[in-house]
Amino acid sequence: MMSLPFFGLLAGFGCVLAGQRGAALLLWAVSMVVMLVLFRLHVTDALTIVL
Amino acid sequence: MTPSMARTLNAFGLLAVSLVLIAAFLDQVLLGELPCPLCLLQRVGFMGAALGLALNVKFGPHPGHYGVVILSACFGGMVSIRQILGHIVPGTGTYGSAILGLHYYSWALLIFGAIVLGCAALLFFERQFAEPEAAPARATTFGIAMIVLAAALALANGVSTVLECGAGLCPDNPVAYELLQGLKGP
Repeated sequence: MMSLPFFGLLAGFGCVLAGQRGAALLLWAVSMVVMLVLFRLHVTDALTIVL
Repeated sequence: MTPSMARTLNAFGLLAVSLVLIAAFLDQVLLGELPCPLCLLQRVGFMGAALGLALNVKFGPHPGHYGVVILSACFGGMVSIRQILGHIVPGTGTYGSAILGLHYYSWALLIFGAIVLGCAALLFFERQFAEPEAAPARATTFGIAMIVLAAALALANGVSTVLECGAGLCPDNPVAYELLQGLKGP
């Protein structure tokens, strides 16, 4: 599951090379959303710091 | 700054980001330091920034492409800050080895900051966004080679993440490539 954003961005690079700008931007956006969801899933414990 | 000069600068930026990812990958392969989940997400941030640079190289400079780079660096930097804060209290341990006194996540935050500053500086050169007079310029061989290098790094990181974590979430402190161990059996 954690490899999804890498493969999404790999497809994005493929679209760049193929001249598909819109598709590359869409794949970037989806990959970033997946990355943020994975970040949310992994950051579950509270930090022991005082802000 | 002409559009073609901006493309060349972006290609060199792509090379710089790729070198960061190559260094991390070499550390993983040669020294056997497996990346933690947050480390992987920071790599995704670098790859996202690389995609924005690749868009500039292939299609010419565009403010939106710089937006892709800046947002990716901000997302990656957010992960770096979370990891730094997790270890900032003395005695709470660290992850991985230090290079020149700083751990990878600290270097990552500095580099993400440099990427944002670099893009902000490049955005001041507005002539790069002017339409070309004649036929639209094409990406140079060097630029295309840098895009292919970044794509190869995305593939390598994707495959190594599958080997390390399988189909699920990665363990917080990975010690072995889970998929390879699963293939070997108990």
